[in-house]
Amino acid sequence: MWTTLLTALCVILTVAMAVYVIWFYQSGLVEETEREVYDKYYVLITEDSKSAFWQSVYEGACERALEENAYVDWLGEQFFEKYSVEELMRIATASAVDGIIVTANENEGLTELIDQAAAAGIPVVTLYGDNTKSARCSFVGVGSYNLGREYGRQVLAIISDRRQEAAKVQEAQDAVLEGRAAAGAAGRDGSAQPVRVAVLVNAYAQDMDQNILCSGIQETIEQEFGAESGIELSLLSVDDTNAFSVEESIRDIFMEQETPDIIICLNELTTTCVYQAVVDYNKVGEVSILGYYDSDTIINAIDRNVIYATVAIDTRQMGAFCIDALQEYHELGYTSQYFTADVRLIRKENVTEYLQKGEGDDETAQ
Amino acid sequence: MKLRSKLSSLSLQVKISSIYILTNLLVMGVNIVLMLGINNISNRLDMVYQDNLHLNELSDSLTAVQDNMTDYLSSKTSDSLEDYYRSEQDYRRMLEDLNEEITGLSFDRMERNIRYMSEDYLEEVNYTIEAKRGRNVEKYRVHYEEAAQMYEYINTYIANLNTEKFRTNSEQYNLLLQKFRLFEGAAMLSMVLVMASNVCIIISLVGASLRPLKKLAGSADEVAKGNFGVELLPVESKDEIGVVTGAFNSMVVSIGKYIERLRESMEAERALKERELMMEAHLKDARLKYLQAQINPHFLFNTLNAGAQLAMMEGADRTYEYVQKVAQFYRYNMKKSEETVTIADEIEMVDYYVYILNVRFGGDIHYEKKIDPALLTVEMPGMILQPIVENCINHGIREMGSEGRICLSVYRVEHAVCISVKDNGVGMSRETIDQVMRGAYREEGKAAGSNGIGMDNVISRMKLFTKNEEVMAIFSEGEGMGTEVFLYLEDGTEEKQEQTDDV
Repeated sequence: MWTTLLTALCVILTVAMAVYVIWFYQSGLVEETEREVYDKYYVLITEDSKSAFWQSVYEGACERALEENAYVDWLGEQFFEKYSVEELMRIATASAVDGIIVTANENEGLTELIDQAAAAGIPVVTLYGDNTKSARCSFVGVGSYNLGREYGRQVLAIISDRRQEAAKVQEAQDAVLEGRAAAGAAGRDGSAQPVRVAVLVNAYAQDMDQNILCSGIQETIEQEFGAESGIELSLLSVDDTNAFSVEESIRDIFMEQETPDIIICLNELTTTCVYQAVVDYNKVGEVSILGYYDSDTIINAIDRNVIYATVAIDTRQMGAFCIDALQEYHELGYTSQYFTADVRLIRKENVTEYLQKGEGDDETAQ
Repeated sequence: MKLRSKLSSLSLQVKISSIYILTNLLVMGVNIVLMLGINNISNRLDMVYQDNLHLNELSDSLTAVQDNMTDYLSSKTSDSLEDYYRSEQDYRRMLEDLNEEITGLSFDRMERNIRYMSEDYLEEVNYTIEAKRGRNVEKYRVHYEEAAQMYEYINTYIANLNTEKFRTNSEQYNLLLQKFRLFEGAAMLSMVLVMASNVCIIISLVGASLRPLKKLAGSADEVAKGNFGVELLPVESKDEIGVVTGAFNSMVVSIGKYIERLRESMEAERALKERELMMEAHLKDARLKYLQAQINPHFLFNTLNAGAQLAMMEGADRTYEYVQKVAQFYRYNMKKSEETVTIADEIEMVDYYVYILNVRFGGDIHYEKKIDPALLTVEMPGMILQPIVENCINHGIREMGSEGRICLSVYRVEHAVCISVKDNGVGMSRETIDQVMRGAYREEGKAAGSNGIGMDNVISRMKLFTKNEEVMAIFSEGEGMGTEVFLYLEDGTEEKQEQTDDV
């Protein structure tokens, strides 16, 4: 009896073992990724590949590309060497890709490369920065003039906030120092001090957009206060020629005797650098920052009242627009010259919404 | 059931061989599977870094193209040109193997880019060579710069791809190695399990095959100890064990039957001997009683014979006849009492006896005979009828006083011979008959003239002779109604007749 039982047990175990071995073969020794084949192959070329801004643009592009059965590579990411945009353009053209998305500027060398690519039948979409003279098929940007107007409105808001605050302080002082009329008059004269607004622009980019943006700010302020507004708008060049020069340039600004009252940053990196500098030099409250992009650091800074406001560009939409432009070009042979991504303003009042959203995103990412 | 019956019809050798073959096949099968698995994994391990080797070759080939071009540009020898064309051909052939599709895998895309860039590069190199051959110095320098740049990019690309692949391949290698270790463990476990299974299978199957043999051995042992009453073993299979079991069963049955027969024959022999001994004993008893009763019969015969002769000489015929018959009677008594006689002899004896009595007592016994002459030769023990007639006369007729009658009949009843002795005497009560038949009746003192043989002796001898219990019957209707004694014998004449017929 027991031998029968034992035999049955052994036979069952052997069969189980056999099933395991068969499963072992069936399952394959190494998990192989599904090899999906795509119709089109696009590349994205940017100067900077680390920032959350570009990550988000790339993700948006990827998402849309997959919908269209195309694939986007962030060229340069896979190389150990760091290649310039021009070199990457050359590589992309030689690789006979189906489309190039490049963060351009008005550089002539780049114009030539874009023209070469176009001549080889590769459509080029300029992203964020344009190269108007080239044969690019489309430009996807943020609408610099509108952005400038938005910044201008925020500048006005900051000034009005400050004046109200100053008035309150003045009233308090007045109440304490009642009867000293002369002194009060002198104080009012002091409040007419000009407000210094600095726009941080890239030093070597001959970028039309920056100019358009600045004129947007200028116009908004002038509309409100007229030509004699008492607001000094200046452009501060930030050296972006090498990897760490941006941060150094920004520190230099704070080392000077007179720091601006309001600093407007036009990209994510400068925003982060200025924010850190303000904290480091203990200028919180004195210097108002208008930031760019909605990275977690920036959102948190708004929450802590260090950054006054920031503009959030729908980066995913930007990425998607690039793909749309390329797809359209392939289908029809032409496409819209301009695509403008949506811009939202994030301030203290609505920052909680983004905080929650950011956390939510993190969770889904995990 | 079919399978079972089929299995049971196999011979023991086939069964045991099959078990060993089966288990060996099992081990072999498992070994083959495991070996295939190990082979598979080791093949895979060999293949892991194949990609890197290919990429290295590709890189070398690319460098060869570039070197040969540079060589040609600097020396312009036909050898270097030939080398260049050969290396270009090699490189193009290698490019054929590179992936061309756009897939979700970054390696594939990189391969695709390398392929297209290489084509671009080769074109540029071609332009350079053509320009050099055409002595277009300006042009070939520009093309050379382009080609060199491209060469740089491609090389970087290949190096990157190579490094990336090396990284993933190393991961894969580790993964494979882990799986290999896992497989090793599984293989060991499988072998142990198969071993255990085999041991169990062998034990159970061999045990099942040999179980009848064990039972047979147990039964044989019992039989050897002398217990022939063992239960018969069921024949479960048709193999050698089944055959032996069947034979053993029939042997046990045969031995049982033989012993039974032997015992029966011994019993019969013993009974026969016993009967003979008893017969002899009774005869001796009868003779002893006779000798007690008679004083020297030879002297008596001689005396009687002398008396008979005297009477004849004197002319007394009746006396002569009487003395003669008395002498005959005693001679018969003397001679025949120890052997088997015929009914005729016995009747003659009764005749003498009745004659003597009639002379003695003045002829008051009427003696009648109804004999079937065919039955006269039937054999019977001697000294049977005379004692019965004597009893009839002594107890029946003499006490009556009036004229007595004796009727002796011999006739056939079915297959038996019946001898009837009937008198018209006082009769017998039922109790007396029972006592006589049981042999429990004792006479008070011997009547004068009796030869001393009692009824119990008669009955015993009849029983021994006929080997039958129903040898005698006494019938009496009551007091004064007479008595009839029946003797039953086997009809010897019939048997003789049959025997002669058979012959």
